[in-house]
Amino acid sequence: MIDILLAGVGGQGTVLAAKVLAQAAQSKGWQVRTAETIGMAQRGGNVTSHVRMGSNGEAVYSPLITPGTADVVIALEPGEAARALPFLAPGGVLVTATTAIQPVTAALSSTPYRAGDVVAALANSLQAEASREQAAEVAIAPNAKANTQDAEAPGVEGYPVPLFVPVDDEALVREAGASSRKSLNMMLLAVAVAQGRVPLTVDELKDAVRARVKPQFVAMNLAAIDTAVANFG
Amino acid sequence: MVKKLLMGNEAFAHAALEAGVNVVAGYPGTPSSELVETVAKLHAAGAAQDVHVEWSTNEKAALEMLAGASYCGARVLFTCKQVGLNVASDALMSLNYVGTGGGCVLFVADDPGPISSQTEQDTRRFGSFAKVPVLDPATPEQGFAMMKAAFDLSERYHTPVIVRPTTRINHASTFFEVAEETHGRPLPEGGFQKDPKWVIFPKRAYEGHGEINRRLAQIAWDYAHDPAFAQFNEVFEGGGEGETIGVVQNGVEGAGASAPAVGIVAGGVSAAYAREALSLIEAQASRAGIPVPRYRFMAVGTPYPFPAETAAAFAEELTDVIVFEELDSVLEEEMLKLTGERHLPLRVHGKLTGEANDRGENTTENIAGRLGRFFDRTSASADSPREGGGTSTCSSNGSLGGTAHWAVPFAAQPAREEVPPPSRCSSETEHGASPDAGCGQAGSLAALVASIIGANNLGYDGPLPVRPPVLCAGCPHRGSFYAVKQALRGREAVLCGDIGCYTLGNAQPLDAVDTCLCMGAGITMAQGFAVAEPGKKQVAFVGDSTFFASAMTGIANAVYNGHDVTFAILDNATTAMTGSQPHPGTGVTLMGERRRPIVIEEVLHGLGVQHIGFANPHSLESSVAAARAAIDFEGPSAIIFRAPCIQLKKPDAPVTIDADTCTGCKKCITSIGCPGIGFDEGLRGPKSGTRGQAFVDTGLCDGCGLCTQVCPFDAIQGAVGFGGAAPVEPTIYAPNPDPFQTGPISGLTFSGEELECGGDAVEEGGAR
Repeated sequence: MIDILLAGVGGQGTVLAAKVLAQAAQSKGWQVRTAETIGMAQRGGNVTSHVRMGSNGEAVYSPLITPGTADVVIALEPGEAARALPFLAPGGVLVTATTAIQPVTAALSSTPYRAGDVVAALANSLQAEASREQAAEVAIAPNAKANTQDAEAPGVEGYPVPLFVPVDDEALVREAGASSRKSLNMMLLAVAVAQGRVPLTVDELKDAVRARVKPQFVAMNLAAIDTAVANFG
Repeated sequence: MVKKLLMGNEAFAHAALEAGVNVVAGYPGTPSSELVETVAKLHAAGAAQDVHVEWSTNEKAALEMLAGASYCGARVLFTCKQVGLNVASDALMSLNYVGTGGGCVLFVADDPGPISSQTEQDTRRFGSFAKVPVLDPATPEQGFAMMKAAFDLSERYHTPVIVRPTTRINHASTFFEVAEETHGRPLPEGGFQKDPKWVIFPKRAYEGHGEINRRLAQIAWDYAHDPAFAQFNEVFEGGGEGETIGVVQNGVEGAGASAPAVGIVAGGVSAAYAREALSLIEAQASRAGIPVPRYRFMAVGTPYPFPAETAAAFAEELTDVIVFEELDSVLEEEMLKLTGERHLPLRVHGKLTGEANDRGENTTENIAGRLGRFFDRTSASADSPREGGGTSTCSSNGSLGGTAHWAVPFAAQPAREEVPPPSRCSSETEHGASPDAGCGQAGSLAALVASIIGANNLGYDGPLPVRPPVLCAGCPHRGSFYAVKQALRGREAVLCGDIGCYTLGNAQPLDAVDTCLCMGAGITMAQGFAVAEPGKKQVAFVGDSTFFASAMTGIANAVYNGHDVTFAILDNATTAMTGSQPHPGTGVTLMGERRRPIVIEEVLHGLGVQHIGFANPHSLESSVAAARAAIDFEGPSAIIFRAPCIQLKKPDAPVTIDADTCTGCKKCITSIGCPGIGFDEGLRGPKSGTRGQAFVDTGLCDGCGLCTQVCPFDAIQGAVGFGGAAPVEPTIYAPNPDPFQTGPISGLTFSGEELECGGDAVEEGGAR
């Protein structure tokens, strides 16, 4: 089972990203379920998409990921990465964009919301966890799905350690062109796939983009994926 | 057949079309809206043929229209969200007595949480109140099968049938095999057959009630024994020593070495969560060498009428059953009833005993924790002499100390847990079952669960921005609310809101919604405030779609009874909140026809409203003047704020902020709270000193220009949207000389605007 949680702010494209992942899973012949936030909550609110893939032929019952068991969390905004952190499995990968989206409440509030502080705290938290796991001889809190994990991943007793991948999305957008801001969702998917913890390849991701994205936007998204992979491959 | 990735609601649409549905109608409401839109899309693409689909003006109109078609033998499908059934209930109650012709299915989406709703009402309860059968899917795939079965059930017994998914089924996606082309079932020869039975009189109602009672008994039997429906009530066994997980139907065989003593009952999506939780517990327990007791599981997909025969077979030899369901304790009460009727030595655990969430959503993690404790407790009590009577849940634990199956002390757990916070990201790990509390207790499944869930040691405890839903940047409602509040300055007033995007006008800094009750209620509630507190001014805000759905009767009431209130009609040319559906005021239908729209000002005039003003809400000064004129008018008055929803138009050029002029006063932010404007403490300018300055998020700014009129220092530049700033002299409606309202539409109109009617919410998903 591969569980991927996509987190962001309404309008950032988590739903399309989930569809692309579902398409990739389907092409591999896996059962897949996705679940999204739709309706009132998505107007400027925080949104999540859950993608669950039966990568070993398991039945997928629930449409939602259980906290503490997501193999990959992909956040399109750093505050949303922090909010989604409880979902990450002990050896999971957290990929997050580092540019904040300021809600109106932050502008009205006296305490500003600073993305840099959040990213630094996330890095510390995952680094501390990685050190703890590497130091531990025994008795690691077992990942609920560790038996299905890729055993080649690094870590103690076959359990991978958590991995933090902050993505300077402003820099990526500068490199890939201004229109690529709309492809941030695909760029972060590409970064996650490039980390090698998901049994999907960049080519499989691109095929899924060709199948799911409106034809006029395919080239733009494929180019954005190439830029992301070139920087984070 | 073709394989497609479909959201639950899209799949339900395909299932109904494959069942030959002839007429589909409803009123938009999250989480139900995508079904009707999918039918319309497939019809427009030529894939769904011989089907009529429409957004009706409200749910009552939809169901009554469908009842007529059903009498002719057509297969009909009604859709709404849970509160929509309240509106249609008058029709439903009587329709059930009269009976239906062609298959009549009501697709009613419940919203545990609630995520996008006013109530957590349970349509399974509505089914039993109305005496209408209910099907309740655990997965989108099961819902697909249920939709087809529901049409057959309806025709077998001439009863309406409710298919009741919940949000997590409606909005979950997976791949489906669907037909590439569908056709409505040909109508029977002869069509509508005149018969006294179609006319409801007291005598007919008495007869009909007998028919209902007889068919409900038969349907309960079908649910238990007819494979077409019994498939939705799966019973199986798991856990224990053996690996014998087999489906057991109609009389549970005592197969396997040890017969289970405990059972799990789950309904709807909770069945999926419970199975996930059991997989998780069994996998971890096997690794940790902890035994999981043998258990029996029953998923109830046909909650009303309750399949008592299936449940009785399931309950045989069990001592304890725990029930997981969202919203009300429907299945739990049925199990209690069964226990009483058959004198079963069975303890039923669930919401009523504080052992399941009493409201809000269930989750895998919550159910896993509760199952762990349930297994611990029942194992412990099995090892000790049974306490006398009652639904004791191991409240005394002292005597159980040395047993192998040590229970987590029940006292450590609050009797009734608080509802989980709205964010699913918050940990729902169990009180009193933290890893530390449980680790010392060998063999505790509750402790094992606690060690898995929320055990990632990762944390971020710093402050995070809250992101309540807000009106979009450039939303015309923002200017409407701001103008009305400006016009009311110095007057005591009550602002009655309503259901739609404009409910968000309650948020700071607009703070322009004092009440919100249900569709159309603001219009009539304002009149009650006017009667009780005549010294204050009352303004009722209502959207254009809500106007047609349920405001017109209330406006007639104000005119008839002479209530001095002002109606602010927020006309953005669409049903925005639910994803841009057309309505009578747009003149566009789901079948692609265009006709003269029903004009709001003509309706108001026809209802006798004497003062009808217009304003472009992006044009601040003229909007305030128009609002003031309406508010000052004695007697019922109306002001129509008219500008298109930003989802229907191309963005205008974003505004710019002049760094040399911005003083950093934050007036733009604290007055209208547009998400397109932020504040950067690091920006510097000659007038702002070290305060920082406002900045424009050009990705969000829609260029409406409202902020340019709010800034006291003219630091923001940009054109005013929807035709620019209007003259301050308010436009007043001049009655159309044509008494039949067929001539050209006068006043402020959308003509000339290229609006995209009809939503593509399903296609774009997260964009809305």
